[in-house]
Formats: sequence, C-alpha cells, structure tokens
Amino acid sequence: MNTILNSIGHRFKTRPLFVLLLICFAGCEDLNEKPVGIATPATFYNSIPQCEAALAGSMSTLWGWYVAPGYGSGDGLSSWFSNDDQLEGGDLNIESDHASGLWTAHYKALANINSLLHAVKNGSLATYPPEEIDKIVAQAKFLRAFNYFYLVRMFGDLPLITEDTPDPVNTPITKRTSVAEVYDLIVSDLTFAMTTIPSKTDLGGATPGRPTSGAAKGLLAKVYLTMATAPLNITGNYAKAASLAKEIIDGGEYALIPNIWEVFLKSNKYGSEAMWSFNSSEDDPQTDENIGKPDEIDGYGGEQVAMYFDTTFAHQPRRDAYLLRYALEDNAPNPPDTILYTTAFDTGLPFIRKLYNEPYITLDEGFGGSSANWFILRYADILLIYAEAANRVNGAPTQDAVDAINQIINRANGTTGKEAVATIGMTMQVFEDKVIQERSWELCFELGDRWFDLIRKRILDKAIAANGLPTALVNFTPDDYLFPIPTFDAKTIGQNPGY
Amino acid sequence: MRMNELFRKNSRATICMLLMVMYFAMPVVPASGNTRHRLNVFYAMAFEKVITGRVTGEDGTALPGATVIVKGTGIGTTTDSDGRFTLSVPDNAETLVISFVGYTVEEIVIGTQTVVNVTLRDDQKTLSEVLVVGYGTQRKSDFVGAISSVKGSELALLPMQRADQALQGRAAGVMVVNTDGSPGGNTTIRIRGSNSINGNNSALIVIDGLQGGDFKSLNPNDIESIEVLKDASATAIYGSQGANGVILVTTKKGRTGPPVFNYNFSIGAQQLRKKLDLMNAVQFANTTNDFRATQDANGPLPPRFTPQDIAGFAANGGTDWQNEIYRNGAMQNHQLSISGASDKVSYLVSGGYLDQKGIVINSAYKRYSLRANVNVDINKWSTFGLSLAATKEIGNAPPFGEGAGIVDPLGQTTGTAPRWAPTVPVRDALGAYILQHPSGYGAANSWNPVASALEPVVENNTARNMINTFLEFRPLKGLSLRISGGAIIQNTNNYRYFNSLTYAGASAAPSPGDAQVESGTYARYQNTNQLTYNKEVGRHHITVTAVAEQTIQNTKNYLFRGTGYADDITGVNDFGSAALVTGSSSVIKRVLNSYLGRVNYVFASKYALTASYRADGSSVFGANNKWGYFPSVGAAWSASEERVIKDLNLFSTLKLRGTWGITGNQSINPYQTIAQLTSIDGDGNANKYPYDGLGSSQPAYILAVPANNLKWESTTQYNVGLDAGFFNGRVNATVEFYKKTTKDLLLGRTLPSLTGYTSRIDNLGSMQNKGIEISIAGNPLIGEVKWSTGLTFSANRSKVLNLGELSTIEFRTTTGGGYNFSNSGRALMNLKVGHPLGEMTGYGVVGTWGTSEAEVARTFGQLPGDQKFEDVNKDGKIDAKDLKVIGQALPKFIFGWTNQILYKNFSLNLLIQGTYGNNLFNGGRVRLEAPGEGTSTALLNRWTPQNQDTDVPAFTKQSVRTAAALPSPTVTARLLSRTDNRLSRYVENASYIRLKNITLGYNLPASVIGSRISKLRVYVSAANLLTITKYNGYDPETSSFNNNDARAGIDFSNYPTAKTYMFGIDLTF
Repeated sequence: MNTILNSIGHRFKTRPLFVLLLICFAGCEDLNEKPVGIATPATFYNSIPQCEAALAGSMSTLWGWYVAPGYGSGDGLSSWFSNDDQLEGGDLNIESDHASGLWTAHYKALANINSLLHAVKNGSLATYPPEEIDKIVAQAKFLRAFNYFYLVRMFGDLPLITEDTPDPVNTPITKRTSVAEVYDLIVSDLTFAMTTIPSKTDLGGATPGRPTSGAAKGLLAKVYLTMATAPLNITGNYAKAASLAKEIIDGGEYALIPNIWEVFLKSNKYGSEAMWSFNSSEDDPQTDENIGKPDEIDGYGGEQVAMYFDTTFAHQPRRDAYLLRYALEDNAPNPPDTILYTTAFDTGLPFIRKLYNEPYITLDEGFGGSSANWFILRYADILLIYAEAANRVNGAPTQDAVDAINQIINRANGTTGKEAVATIGMTMQVFEDKVIQERSWELCFELGDRWFDLIRKRILDKAIAANGLPTALVNFTPDDYLFPIPTFDAKTIGQNPGY
Repeated sequence: MRMNELFRKNSRATICMLLMVMYFAMPVVPASGNTRHRLNVFYAMAFEKVITGRVTGEDGTALPGATVIVKGTGIGTTTDSDGRFTLSVPDNAETLVISFVGYTVEEIVIGTQTVVNVTLRDDQKTLSEVLVVGYGTQRKSDFVGAISSVKGSELALLPMQRADQALQGRAAGVMVVNTDGSPGGNTTIRIRGSNSINGNNSALIVIDGLQGGDFKSLNPNDIESIEVLKDASATAIYGSQGANGVILVTTKKGRTGPPVFNYNFSIGAQQLRKKLDLMNAVQFANTTNDFRATQDANGPLPPRFTPQDIAGFAANGGTDWQNEIYRNGAMQNHQLSISGASDKVSYLVSGGYLDQKGIVINSAYKRYSLRANVNVDINKWSTFGLSLAATKEIGNAPPFGEGAGIVDPLGQTTGTAPRWAPTVPVRDALGAYILQHPSGYGAANSWNPVASALEPVVENNTARNMINTFLEFRPLKGLSLRISGGAIIQNTNNYRYFNSLTYAGASAAPSPGDAQVESGTYARYQNTNQLTYNKEVGRHHITVTAVAEQTIQNTKNYLFRGTGYADDITGVNDFGSAALVTGSSSVIKRVLNSYLGRVNYVFASKYALTASYRADGSSVFGANNKWGYFPSVGAAWSASEERVIKDLNLFSTLKLRGTWGITGNQSINPYQTIAQLTSIDGDGNANKYPYDGLGSSQPAYILAVPANNLKWESTTQYNVGLDAGFFNGRVNATVEFYKKTTKDLLLGRTLPSLTGYTSRIDNLGSMQNKGIEISIAGNPLIGEVKWSTGLTFSANRSKVLNLGELSTIEFRTTTGGGYNFSNSGRALMNLKVGHPLGEMTGYGVVGTWGTSEAEVARTFGQLPGDQKFEDVNKDGKIDAKDLKVIGQALPKFIFGWTNQILYKNFSLNLLIQGTYGNNLFNGGRVRLEAPGEGTSTALLNRWTPQNQDTDVPAFTKQSVRTAAALPSPTVTARLLSRTDNRLSRYVENASYIRLKNITLGYNLPASVIGSRISKLRVYVSAANLLTITKYNGYDPETSSFNNNDARAGIDFSNYPTAKTYMFGIDLTF
C-alpha cells in the first residue's frame, strides 16, 4: 500500500505539469439535444403504421371533446349544444368562449392531418406503392373533411389550413376563407376518399373502425344536403345528396338493426347500422357512460333532457330506449320500471339513455369508462337524408322517400303504432317537417345533429317558440346561427357578428 | 477496570489490548515512506517513559474520556473521570495528540516533559470561524454574503429522522414545511420565498461538493454542518442552478486519534396530534333524520334511522372511524459509526437503520444507510479523498392527498375516515368489509376507510448511491488544483397493487385489480476541476478560484400498469395474469457545461470584496440561448476593526455587507425546444385510440409545439446585511434585507388555437420577493447553569409583477370527489398581477340570515337560516363579481427559537417554531359539513330560530321554501347547489407556535460508566409536543398540493403530522 502511494506521489512530484494537464479532460459535452425517446416530425410519417398513428392521434384529440365529456357537456360553463331544444338549460345566451374547446380540438386534429399530408406529399412514404400511399392520403382527407364539415357549420367562414399552408405558428393566418370555399375542399376531399378507400365489404370486418368508402359517401351525402340548405342554399345539391344516399341504400352494405333496444348495444358497435364512429376498446374504454346519467346511479347528473322533449316524444319504445326515464333497478331488463324520473331523480328530469349503452348493463359497472363506440354516422341518418333530399328533388314525397322514413318509424314504434307513419299523400312541406322531427327523435344527442338541423333549416326561433321556452326566445337573434370565434383567435381573424 | 490499570497489572491483558489497538491502528498506519514510523510499532513494546497529565476544557472542567495518543503510533490511552491520564511512551516518542469529540485536536511536543496538561478548545467556536461556501471555504469574517449555518453537533442534541427538518426554525430565511406526516414523508424547503411559477423552487443541495443531493436519503447523524447560501453573491457561483438558494452539506470526517466508536439508539412512538370533532352515532342518526325530514318536496319521507336504531347506537356506540385507521406508530433508530485518523489518513464509516411505523395503519418506512469517508494525504502536496454513501429506503403508505391525482379521494382513507357515518360498522355480520358507504346519506359512493388503508399494497423502494472522489494537488504554496469526479445513481422501484377490495381496484378498467410498477434510474455525473490560489502579501489577502465543470444527467423511467386480475393474491407480482397491461417509458438527458471564477480580496481584515462570474451552457435551453451568464459582486466592511469603533468598546463584531448578483433557474424539461410527436398525453398516460376498431387501442401520436427560444429564468438579487456582536461575543445578531426580482419566468404564451396548439411555454413573467431576516444568538447564562439561545425571524413578501399576456393564472387542484373548490373558471388558488403568491379567491360568508333579516334575505331569494354571502359590490346579487381574496397561504413571518440549558450533566434543548399570518383552506370541511352527509359536529350548531348566531346554514324543509314563494334567487346557482365551495367559511387561520422539539439529556458521569466509555448520554425527547393554533384540522403544518407553490395552503385528505416521543442513548467509546 505504502509503496503504491509512494510511487504515485513520486511520479506526480517529478512531473507536476502532467497533473495540470488533467484539467483538459473537461471537454464540452455536446449541448445539442438528440432525444432517443421521442419522435420528431422530421423523422416521423415514414411508414403506414406511423401515419395511422398520426390519424389515430387526430381522432384522439376530438374524442375527449365529443365523447369523454360527452355530448353537450363542457368543462364548466359551456355546453356546446345545450342551446338546441333537446337539453335542459340552454338560454341562447351564447358566451364568447362557447364551443371554443371544439374549435381547438378540431384544429388540433387538422394540424396532425395536414402535417401528415405535408410529409407524404414530400415523399416520406416514397418506398411504398402508390396505391398504398393513396389509401392513407384518402383516409387523411376523409378526416380533414369531417373536421372542416363540423367547424364550418358551427363557425362559418374559417381559417382554411391545408398541407400547403405555411406553418401557422410562425406565419400567422389573418384571414378567413368563405364557407363556399371550405365546402369545396370538403367535397373534393370526400370525393377522393369515396373513390379510394376500400368499402366495408372489401375490408371484410378486418378493420371495422376505419373510414370506409361507404362512410365517405354517406358523409358527402350529408354535406350536400347541408349545402342545399342555409347558409349556401345550393338547392341543386339535393339531387346529389339523394343520389349518393340512394347508392348506399341500394348497395345493401348497411341496414337498420331491427330491434330498437339493440341499436346502441356494445355488440352492435360495428353492426349493420354502424357506418363510422368514435371508437372505444376494452383496453382503453373511453366512452363515458356516466354522462347523461343522474347522480342516483353514479352519473355526473349534468346533461338533463328538457322535459318537454320527453313529453312530446312519440310514446313509443324508442322513447324508453333513447331516454333514461326511470330509476333502474339492478340488472333491470326493460322499462317500464316503477318510478318515473319526476320523482326518481333529484332533478326531476329525464336523462340520456343512448349513452348508457347497455339496457342490460349492471349498475356496478357504472364507473365511467365504456368500450361502446359513439356513432358519428349511422345508416338511420342516411335513410333520413335520402327522405329529405328526394322529397325536395321531387317537390313531394316519393315512395322511396316514404319507405325510407317509415323504416325508421316502424322500428321506433315496435308493435305500438304510437307514431303515425309517413304517407305519399303528404305535401313536400309536411313531409319535410316530419323528416326533421324524425331526425330530432332518432338522432337525438348525437354530435349536435339537432343543432345543425335547426341552423341549416333556420328554425331555431321557431323550434324554441313551439317548445315553450320563452326565456330562450327573448335572447334569440339571427347571430345565434353561428358560434363565436374563440376570443384569442378572433383578434387576428375577426369575429362573427353579434359577439 | 480502567485501561491504564490493565496495562500495569495484567501483562496478558496488556498484550491483548495492544493487539487490539494495533488492529485498529493498522488502517491508520501512515502512508508516508518514513520507515521510522513503521518501526515504532516494534518500539512500542519497550516503554521507557511515563507521562501523566490532565485534559481540560477552556473553562477548566475536566474532560473525561479524551484520547491521548503518541503521534504516528497506536500507543494511547483515555482520560479518567477527572480528566487525568498516565501513559507509558517509548523514549523516542516526539508528539502527543490529544483529542476529544467536539473539541479541537491538540498536538504537544513531549521533549523532556513528564507532565503534560492540555486545554482543548471548543470545536464549535473554531468551526464557526470558517464557513463552507460554494467551491471552497472562507473565514466568516471575510464573507460578504448571506449565509445561515447549522452545525451537526447542534443537530445531535435534538434527535430527528430527517436532516431537512433540522433546518426548520434554525436558519433565518429558510421556510421548511412538513407537507405531510407520513413516515418518510415530504418536506418543502423554500429559501427567501418562491421565485418561479412553473419552474422548480427547491434549493440546490450540494453534499460534499456533489450537486443534486437529496435530504431524504441523508442520515442526519453523518452531518458535520449545513450552510444555507441565500444571497446572490453566495449562490451566483452555482449559476443557472443557484436562484433558489444553495444548501451545502458537509459530512463528518475522522478526527486524529484512535478509533472512536459511536453508537446511537433511540426508540419512540408517534401519535395523532388531535382528532377531528365529529358526531357520535346517535347525533349523526338524529341529524340525518332531521335533514331527511326536510326533503319533502314530494311529500314526507320516512326517517332513515328508526328510534330502535338510535337506541341501539346509544347502547352500543358506533364506529369511530378515526380510531379505526389511526394508531400509535412505533419507531426505532440505530446508528453506529467508527472514525479516526492518523496524520495521513482519516476515515469514517457510519451505518444507520431507521424503522418507522406511521400513525395510519399499514404505513411504514425503513431506511438503511451507509457512509464511508476516507481522506489520504499522499504526500505533502497531494491528497486523495473518497466518499461513498449508500441508502435504501422502503416506504409504504396508503394513498393520500392530491385528490384524483393519486387515487380518487373517495378511496383515500385519510379523507374518507372522518366522513364515514359512525352508524356504519367496518364489517358486516359475516366479517366482510362494507365496501361502499350505504347510499342516501353520509359519504355515499365513498370507499370503506379501513379497506382503503389496509388493502392497497404499496411498496416504494429507493436505492441511492453516491460516490465522490477527488485528487488535490498543491504544487506551489497557495496554489491547489482539485479534480473531483462524482456520481449520484438512484434507482426507484415502486410497486402498487389495488385489489378488488379497494376503490381503485374495483373501478379499474377492465375490472378488478390495478397494479402499477414504476421503475426509474436517475444518474447524475459531475466532474469539477478547480484551481485555487491563495496569497497573502502584507495586509492583502487574495483568493482566486477558477473552475471548469461538467454535469450530465440521465433519467430513465418505466411505468407499467396491469388491470383486470382474476386473482387478487398475485397482483403486482404477476403481470402475466392481468387482462390488460399498458406501459410507458421515457429517456431524457441533460447536459450542463460550466466555467466559473471568483476573486476574494481582503484588506487588513477590514475590507472584503468578492466577485464571481459563471457561464453555463445547458442542453435544455433553446438553440439561440444555449449559454447563460451569471455575475455577482459583494463587499463587506468590518467596522469593528476600525480604531474608532474599537475604542467604543461596544462591539465585538460589527460588519456591514452588501451584495448584488444574478442567478438562474434552468428547470426547463429537456426537449421542449424541439418539435415532437408525442404518444404521451398531458397526464403522462399513453395516448391511444383504436383507429382500426379492433380489440385494442393503437398508439396515437400528436404534435407538440416546439418552444425554440426557451432560456433560464433569471433572478437579480440585492442583499444588505449587518452583523453585530456585543458583550465580548456573548450576543451576536445578524440582520439581512434582500430584494429579488425574477424575470423571464416560464409561462404559457397563448397561440391562436387554429394553429393546432393552444399555447407554448415561453419566458414571459416576472415576480418579486423582498424580505428581512433577523437572527440573534446569545449566552444569557454562563455560570453553573449555562443557557444559550438563538432566535430567528424572517418575513418575505412576494409580488407578481408580470404574467405575460395574462392578468390572472388560475391554479387548479385535482380534488375530484365532489369537493368543488377547484374547477376551470372557479379555482381557489389564483395568481394575479400585483398580488402576492398564495392568494385564495372565493366568496365571503357573513354567517346566516337571521329571522329579523327575512325581508332582506327575500330580496336574494333566500330564507332566514340560509347562508348569507357578502355582496361585495352591493348590487343585490351574489355572483362572480363578488369574488374576493379570502385567504393567504404564505405566512407574514416565520420564526424559530432555540434554547439549550446545561446544568451539571443535564442538558435541556428546546426548539420553538412557528408561522404567523397564513391561512389554510380546510378542504375536508366541504364534505364534513355538507348537509345530509356530513359528520362534523358543526352541523349540530346549524341555524335554528333559537341558534341564529352561526355560519352553518339551517336545514330548511323544501315545502317551507316552496310555501314562502320566494323570488328567484339572485345568488349564483353554483353556490346554492354547492358546486362552488370557495367560501371564506372554510378558510382558517393557520398561524401556529409549536414546541417543535424538546429533549432532556443526561450524561452519565465517568464514575458510573468508567473510563472505557468516553460518553454515555441518555435522553428523552418529544417532537410537536405542544402546538398553539386556531386551526381546526389535524395539523396546521400541511399542504396537499405541492407540485406548484401557487397551490400551497390547501389541507385536503392529507396524512396528518404526528406527535413523536422518543427515548435514546448515545454511546461513545
């Protein structure tokens, strides 16, 4: 020991300069970061699975806003679609941050989609065959159209960002693009998607959650129907909507689930009626079934159905299947149970049963997460789109149109016959009113469908008046047909009138 | 039998003893090449000279058990009870080394003397003259900055389990909060307030020069001293890590002399400080019935509890849930160290074992620690040192606090225990838990507190290894080069399993069972190359320090979660049986390259000047801001050295100091300046979406915005200090004033959301802290009864100067469970420009409406007995316009008072400590006092026509309310429906004065313990024995949300701080 230490000491003693050189070990470690645990846009989008992960990301950003907090629910003050005539609580006092969460979520989804399209356009997938690339691009465009379709109906003229737009963080966008031009992009994206993505049949159930050509066609039909009404009023598009819807009906890929009680069963999330949805899975159940449920059965108690909606709803099985009107006993089979909502629930109002998903669900399961999907587009919608569009094209109901809506009504009635079916003898207006009413019942609480009907038909005031909501009617102005642009964005791109 | 007698009377024993001494001396054999030293061992056989003498302290008292050794040999003895020794030495022995714990080591040249009387000086006084500062030491008289110093010997007298608790009340300007009372629980330390909003506010901890240390795993017994650097002149040398102050810990080294063994043992128990005041079963049943009787909108309801039920409760009592989950927790602590040194080698090896059971059932903590410090003088001009420290901690406690962030509060035992109805038994007739509270009354939906405590399997393992080596060369007089390399390697393995009997396990998806494993490695490597030049020419003294340093930190974390277990037994140990396993991982690295220099110049011990400069290059800064520069200057004038002052004969010390400097905070997460696609969402969960719609979800990648210009937050600090000593040093006082302005605070900058992002982090805000610190220490009594005392007082005021584009930032706290004092747009804690940190916003409650006020109440749509809110703007409505500041989480000042009283062999140490002027939001009361469910006795004090002077609203029948035909209420619906509970009613004064620690010790006299034992001290000690406070919760020293200082001041379902009683012995031989 001593010897070793001595020799070290000796060596240093004789060569002190050598010691000073040790300080030179303090070389600089590189200060540039080279992360190994995270992906960067420069290296991503190089494979189909990566692109699909980005598309999944785009859906994921929306999912929370539409499904986890649920329809009509917001964090705090804003219930996005609570001003329609189905939910309790809307008063048409639309505040400046109303729906800003949806704006943000859709633009976040769009940023992810456009980033992908930009990379692919620049050859990130160059090693793949062109038809593979087309398929992923078509899915991306389908999703882009979907996002813009929801945005343009809520907010009107939009900042239109595509894969060719320079990075909006560093190159701020100051102008909005007109509704008509936004629809041009939507139609073009959906047309490409419709002809490029495989159909449900082609996929053969392998990837049931992805967009299909049928979904693209259905969405495009809905887009055309909307374009035919306010604000664009391009009535020529009724024919396009009718024709696309007819193709779907005749195509036979889709059909109504016969039993009204089974439409929202988890086991039917990719059933015959499903066209496209927010997906949920067993390992990451995200659909929140506590929404639309009262406190009494572990719900959040927030989204209550307006009482008039229940009382005016045709007294058919569909009402009990879609609305939560009774205090359910454990493992309750079907209503009617004994105690109606007026006394069963503290709020004295019905709740939403569609979100409850399983008529046979055990109440112990009610911790929130559910693996049920939440439909974005289902076949019932296509039938009603067709009925509305064909009626308009013809100037009066056609037999096909009557048959389409009656499919819905008959299923809703079961054996009760409580709601009158449509007849060929109706006038165009009477028939159309019936279709709009039918949409309200059949598609209630589904992604704001009722709100979009009210604004495209410009019947918000009429609906409110008919439903005896005087406090809301006082606040009505035509400005209510558009939501406000979120305050911060409005500073650079301008605000909608009335806000 | 005394050792010297042994030597004389029993030759066999003498030989045995010698062999033992030689054995222990072996590692101490000098590393020098001098052959004479080695030969000494053999010479030792021949004693030719007997030396006698006495060892005393400065005051003349005998020092029994002091060590007397012949330098360079193992020959030695210890003094007897009168401080006397007799030692036979070889005739060529040159020097005696005399040492005693807590005193300086003296070396006496023997020469021809045969009687050697030695006076040893108190070590503490000597040490106090030299301060450990960043990258070196400095004489206290030359130091220009603000520093607080705590000696290990002071800590030794007040036993505690954690070294950071030792700073509480002792160091002015240092606020230590035991945020929870769990064993091994958490502490926050803030030096001179909080500088940062989103960054880190924790001081840099440097242990023996190695940065990035941790108090949690430091054995308090190993600490020689702790210095807290507070002002910029002291901390700017740490540059971008210095803004929050720096705590330097120096660990013990061996002292010259034969081996000293020290064994410390303590045993104790902990106890809940107080119970919450809750109703008994009869009171609760009656109250529940009373409330139910008011729910008569649709006709009367039958009572929940029948008279027979209530009679049963009266006869049998109910469940006291607090008794069910709280217990007296035992703890024990063992500590053994061996240390010593020759003139060439010093060593210290220390091992510790702490075993602590918490006051909540199923909570415990164990810590094993080992430290070895070895220093070797290779030759006259080079030294080598090695320090190793290893700790392993094993802790478990059922989840508490932070609400939904950990486990939903409905499943947290500390929160639910007081809420559960005393009418509900723990188990049903068959012995199974009643898992969920019966519905319709009480804490409906919440989980059985006993099951919530006992059923979770929680095991947190942390192993930390610290190694630090240095080589120091002194090639020229005054010049030294020190090259050190160190590493901190920390491994964390946390296992948790929530079985089907727990809230989390039952609600897992898929159900049941929720297993989590967190595994992480953190490694920090540091290389410091330091050149120091020290020169005295005449009255000039200059010290120049230059350092090149590099730090690399690598962090790897893995998290796995399994849910859906068929078998609850195997749980976390068998991920294979989970129906669903998810996981995430992260790998990050950060690099800091630094160059720094400092010049200290002192003239005539009167004028001192210090200037330092540091350049930090950090990998986490944006490409345009990779390097940050941190200057400081400071000056001091020792006026007491001036003749004019000296002649006053008033001051023993009088020193005026002033400093300025800039420090930084680099707490930016790595990779924030790079554009990313992330699969991890804001909550740290894997972002997934079943895009294909198949069975399982796929990864979902989302763009994250790059913040490419990020840089450090910088703090400019001014400090002025005055040190004054009076009465020959018997009283010393220090006063410091400081002002810190922090700018470039990291805050979100709003982006138009059409970009796809809502905000990005940027350097935007600024904030100010200013304050005063006073410490006074003195020795009022120095006779037979010695009393030394110290007082610290600190007051800090913070002010938010700028929040970028915002005027307010709300800080939400993840409570969940229906507490509703923190939602978007309705946050209790808010940060406002022009206001201090820690402000609580809410509605003022001014009691309840009285019968005489019925008409006024009516205009608000309310009835007598309803809550009366403060209509701040007098507009006849209670809405958001009436929000006001209802509390302040941070104290106006904090103080500490230490006392030591010595009488003969007794010592009494007291630490009194407290805060003044701070509030706590007693979050638990929201549910404990909720009508229809609460268990608090406050509900017994609810409004009735006979009891109108109360702030607890009445139970009013729905039918009565309907019959009153009131106009629609002008009180916002959220207040009426209790979905906004930010009420001044729940804000309580949390000022306290606490007898933090009291210890009575007794040193057994040498006549009892004999001379082989140099010290045997027995003591009894109590922590938190007495607390004076108006706060109604478990304990005023608590904080449930600690990941951001802006969230402080909320008491929510936290683990209460306990009282501790201890008995211990301290043995040295």
